[in-house]
Amino acid sequence: MTNAQLFEIAISWFRAQQWEPFPFQKRSWEAFLEGRHGLLNAPTGSGKTYALWLPIVLDFMKKNPAYATRHQPGLKAIWITPLRALSLEIRQSAERVTRDLGTQLTVGIRTGDTSPAERAKQKKQMPDLLITTPESLQLLLATKGYPALFRNCSAIIVDEWHELLGTKRGVQMELGLSRLRALSQDLRIWGISATIGNLEQALEVLLGPYTVAMQNSVLIRAKLNKQISVKSIIPPEIETYPWRGHLGLRLLEEVIPIINNSRTTLLFTNTRSQCEIWFQKILEQHPEFAGEIAMHHGSINKETRVWVEQAIRNESLRAVVCTSSLDLGVDFAPVETVIQIGGPKGVARFFQRAGRSGHRPGKESVIYFLPTHAIELVEASALKKAVATQAVEDRMPYLNSYDVLVQYLTTLAVSDGFYPGELYEEVRQTFCFQALSREQWQWILNFLVLGSQSLQSYDEYKKVEVEADGRFKVNHRGIALRHRLQIGTIVSDAHLLVRYQKGGYIGTIEEWFISKLKTGDVFTFAGRNLEFIRIKEMQVHVRNSRKKTSKVPSWMGGRLTLSAQMSQLLREELYSAGMAIGAQSEEIKALKPLFDKQRIESIVPRPHEFLIETFKTTEGYHHLFYPFEGRFVHEAMGSLLGYRISLLAPVTFSLAFNDYGFELLSDKAVDIQQVLDNDLFSPDYMLEDLQKSLNATEMARRKFRDIAVISGMVFTGYPKKGVRMKHLQSNSQLLFDVFKDYEPDNLLYQQAYTETFEHQLEEGRLRRALERIARQEVCWKTCQRPTPFSFPIITDRLREKLSSEKLADRIRRMAEKLMKR
Amino acid sequence: MVHPLQIHGQHFDLHPSGVLFWRERQLLFVSDLHLGKVTHFRKYGAAVPLQAIPGNFSLLDECIGHFNPKGLYFLGDLFHSHMNSEWQLFEDWVRGTGLTMVLVSGNHDVISPLKYESLGIAVVGEVVMDGFLFTHHPQERDGYFAVSGHIHPAYRLRGTGRQSLRLPCFFKSARQLILPAFGAFTGMHALTRKKGDEVYAIADQQVIKI
Repeated sequence: MTNAQLFEIAISWFRAQQWEPFPFQKRSWEAFLEGRHGLLNAPTGSGKTYALWLPIVLDFMKKNPAYATRHQPGLKAIWITPLRALSLEIRQSAERVTRDLGTQLTVGIRTGDTSPAERAKQKKQMPDLLITTPESLQLLLATKGYPALFRNCSAIIVDEWHELLGTKRGVQMELGLSRLRALSQDLRIWGISATIGNLEQALEVLLGPYTVAMQNSVLIRAKLNKQISVKSIIPPEIETYPWRGHLGLRLLEEVIPIINNSRTTLLFTNTRSQCEIWFQKILEQHPEFAGEIAMHHGSINKETRVWVEQAIRNESLRAVVCTSSLDLGVDFAPVETVIQIGGPKGVARFFQRAGRSGHRPGKESVIYFLPTHAIELVEASALKKAVATQAVEDRMPYLNSYDVLVQYLTTLAVSDGFYPGELYEEVRQTFCFQALSREQWQWILNFLVLGSQSLQSYDEYKKVEVEADGRFKVNHRGIALRHRLQIGTIVSDAHLLVRYQKGGYIGTIEEWFISKLKTGDVFTFAGRNLEFIRIKEMQVHVRNSRKKTSKVPSWMGGRLTLSAQMSQLLREELYSAGMAIGAQSEEIKALKPLFDKQRIESIVPRPHEFLIETFKTTEGYHHLFYPFEGRFVHEAMGSLLGYRISLLAPVTFSLAFNDYGFELLSDKAVDIQQVLDNDLFSPDYMLEDLQKSLNATEMARRKFRDIAVISGMVFTGYPKKGVRMKHLQSNSQLLFDVFKDYEPDNLLYQQAYTETFEHQLEEGRLRRALERIARQEVCWKTCQRPTPFSFPIITDRLREKLSSEKLADRIRRMAEKLMKR
Repeated sequence: MVHPLQIHGQHFDLHPSGVLFWRERQLLFVSDLHLGKVTHFRKYGAAVPLQAIPGNFSLLDECIGHFNPKGLYFLGDLFHSHMNSEWQLFEDWVRGTGLTMVLVSGNHDVISPLKYESLGIAVVGEVVMDGFLFTHHPQERDGYFAVSGHIHPAYRLRGTGRQSLRLPCFFKSARQLILPAFGAFTGMHALTRKKGDEVYAIADQQVIKI
């Protein structure tokens, strides 16, 4: 069959469904059938699955003219999804195509939820089309004889690639793809991504920057021009709307008519705790919604979540309060309206959320923005601009993630073993390891075999062995078993199951929250008030309680930062406060009373101005700086500046920051003139100074936890699977200290610092921010009382302490304070 | 560097490495070395830094050089696991040191006492001297001041804001003293202080009374 004939089949199939193919779908079919690789940029719900399932099946028909009668079993295509919850829907789409086109292709799913029996069956006989997750793909690479499985695989599609890019699962995927490319003669690699700022780079990461595949690739943009309408909920009395806060409950009554006027409404919150609180408050004040509203977040158990998702589709719910857990996948046709509570901290996320409404091609998406405090209206205004100009942020891919490489090489050593000479070239083709040097590679190999860089006679390290012919192989069954259990540990805080004492599973919760509770404490979780009884075998036992409580778990993942693009838009919006009324958005206009108050003692900065405010309260001397760069950059800049000031004279600061600025609070005044005269905002020696500023080690310590788990240095144990490895459980904190004392040049230990600077402190952005400040005119305002801008920052109770005093002195002071109590 | 401590008229020194020196008797006490732990982990494929192994011995040598004791008492958990290659290093070290040594055995000490005795190390359940009781597990006994290890004591200091430090410590109550764990890669357990307890925390090569 010619490509033109195949095309006809596809188009008539579309018409039989009463659909008309979009241009991007046709272009994808075309490119795929021409044997090209590529990245398809299309939003959820646009028919992207058919853009790629169809040509896979068409290509099969082309190569097997007797497709209707003859069926040669074996894996032919793989569809990777980052969320296993999406796999059922993807299978339905695939089966529809294979069936309607009269092929005998089978479709199977293999994820963490697949039963052992089903897995065993698949191992004997792979389905033709396999839907799986990045982790399950790695597990396939850990099975003996895996090359045979993939030999005739001609396509691999990575769905929601933007979700994987910029994570270590993405790195895992890059490595897996590099292996599959070598195994299969005729493999087409395609990614599907929502809109992100660096789509070209996303394609490069998927295919490898200098590969043949990259040269023969296309980037297809759906360009659906979906109408998104953003509406701000402007507080009726802006004069009295709080200057700080993060819940936004004051505007709860404004939300009710929106819910009442729409089929189904999704209320997106930024954290799970905020989600819990909003859900409760709506029910408290509007009991008539009982049974008609629900809650959805990542800690709630799967059955409940699935039920909620089903109820949205059935249109049996008026509203759902949710978190990013509903960002992805699944088509929810009845959703008409979306409300974003508080800043979404990212344009891409805002787009995606807006896209949840009017989830049908051609329909307008409506999203309301509800500010949780007055200044957030500036953010609302900036978001509108961002939506209009499609200013979406980048997803920064990881470079040199040694931990993932160690895991991957061990995986290959567990199955069929590998020869380093061949594999080095393969690994170097990936984006992540394009700059991996021979020395670093040798270091990794030594680490795998010796567990160090030098051979000691007394050492008993055992993991990967080098066989006589130079093959790297794991021969020890226990090591292989532990490694398989460890693959794809999605690294996060230790989670505990929450359940009723009498049975009944409620959800999962981070260990650190529970560790703060005492028996008898009551906390809110999954919309219920629960009394903590005990922790037993990784499970939290609770019972229902009638007591009122203020304890709501605030999940770590909750604190997000503004992207670089969003920060810039935010600054521009703020600058517009100084322009003519006509040039202002309605949000900026509405904020006039607040700006007026701000101008009494200070200013609203203009583009060339960098604002610093100082004032004194009973708490001490406040020094506020407003770079408007997002909380991560502010945290880093605050640490840096605090450290540099402390070099002038010993001083202790407490540091507070939000997305707009940061504060250094101390018990004595800092002479800002001296700060400026000494050029303390200079980008010179930035990295060195940052490293010396106090909490770099603490941050690296937190990063190291993931690294230690991924690289297999820490065993997490699998209580649910009945594998007991207690004698091998250690904590990464302890390990970090041992590395610090005895092996500080270890690449994995150093990786913790690199990640801290590149991904946590956003070194690059910090540098650019400092360069920008260097070009601005500093406006230092000494005020009598806190200004509206300063208010959300100085009232933040989560603070970091910076100090140039000696550790021993700090201990003495802390101890003294203890005595005074 | 060391912190002096007087108990029942006897003089002791608390050393930042975690050892305890009894001046009148010229004896050195050290608890929870957990030798063999690093090797145990490495044997199972966890690449704990190899240098931590000789580190334990050189630190011990440093302490011995500093105090020049007549005898060395291990207050339990000397060897973390079953026999492994670290035992050979330990044997070599014992022979090279030439000190009288006694092991007050602990829960981790599963290696046969005969092995220790062949090195000239006496293995006992407890030691009583001049009204002092030395054991592995903390215990209080009438008429004695008890010295022990086992729990790897640490103390958590909290300051304003989010300041928090967790430091290994010597933990003293009215009738007993608990030594910190000596070994590298051993971990800590934070204790809460009750009235009358004294905490001697270790930080920056110093012992600081809190």
